[in-house]
Amino acid sequence: MNFKVRAARKEDCKEISRMIMELAVYEKMADQVKTSHEELERDGFSPNPFYECLIAEVPDEHKTKDGYTVVGYALYFYTYSTWKGRSVYMEDLYVMPDFRGKGIGKGLMAKVAQVGVEKQCVRLQLSVLEWNKPSLDFYIAKGAEDLTAKEGWHFLRFDGQTLDTLAKEAPKD
Amino acid sequence: MDRFKLRKAEPKDVPDILRLIKELAKYEDMEDQVILTEKDLLEDGFGDHPFYHCLVAEDPSEERNNNNGPVVIGFAMYYFTYDPWIGKLLYLEDFFVMKEYRGFGIGSEILKLLSHTAVKSRCSSMHFIVAEGNQASIEFYKRRGAADLSLEEGWRLFKIDKSSLLKMSSGPEE
Repeated sequence: MNFKVRAARKEDCKEISRMIMELAVYEKMADQVKTSHEELERDGFSPNPFYECLIAEVPDEHKTKDGYTVVGYALYFYTYSTWKGRSVYMEDLYVMPDFRGKGIGKGLMAKVAQVGVEKQCVRLQLSVLEWNKPSLDFYIAKGAEDLTAKEGWHFLRFDGQTLDTLAKEAPKD
Repeated sequence: MDRFKLRKAEPKDVPDILRLIKELAKYEDMEDQVILTEKDLLEDGFGDHPFYHCLVAEDPSEERNNNNGPVVIGFAMYYFTYDPWIGKLLYLEDFFVMKEYRGFGIGSEILKLLSHTAVKSRCSSMHFIVAEGNQASIEFYKRRGAADLSLEEGWRLFKIDKSSLLKMSSGPEE
């Protein structure tokens, strides 16, 4: 199937928002999505964007039954390793179920890798839920190493009340 | 804690930041893995589009200065990331206080200042990673309310190194 991978534009945010919700449903966490397409527009298309996004498009004759031609996306941003420097972190990679198995996911990820290499990034990082076997297999086949298994890294988070509580005790400016 | 000062890092702090990065790497038994240079830190942190932000903790006391010892005794490096479900996040990349300066509450104050920065910048959350063998750090964070997402939600961190990236990015066009 013919498809094209290109940088997202501001007007693609409605489509990206739609697919973010689809991915959240797949990960069984739909109730956790709080962003709207307006926030995506503000955060990704201002002078200092907080993320970059690539989308995969199919020609009109292959559009979905609801009429969409945008069938996948990869959302990523730049991070920094104090040991090795610039890195790229791929936060989301998603292809609509009917369009899988056609190389679109690979195409999106390859483009993220290319952008990363151009920006002199030394590596790409991502996270996968441990029960998500199809995704685990997909990434491992491309050379991904599980750092949680290999080096024991755990993800921690402060949010909501715990973050506010800490923040209130910060030293005054 | 009154004796110490927390402030935003400046270009002149880069040599101290690198020194502390190496000390932290040594603490994690990975000193030989630090390939970053002062030049990289300067370019990547203090250019037009910084890849990171840094806070430093200073000991401005006379005694320290007369000994020509380092004045910067702790640092925290962070940057902003994005969660498509909730928006902006603050990611804490490195956080370190020199051994002889621990137990004075400096680490606590740094964490509070970072949380304040996160809230001020409209971040919903502060994320970071800890090695599961590092019990002291895990306890420090959990005491302050941190949740372990690897345990609670099953997230695993993966990396793809440059050689695999090059292989991927030079593949045939679909």
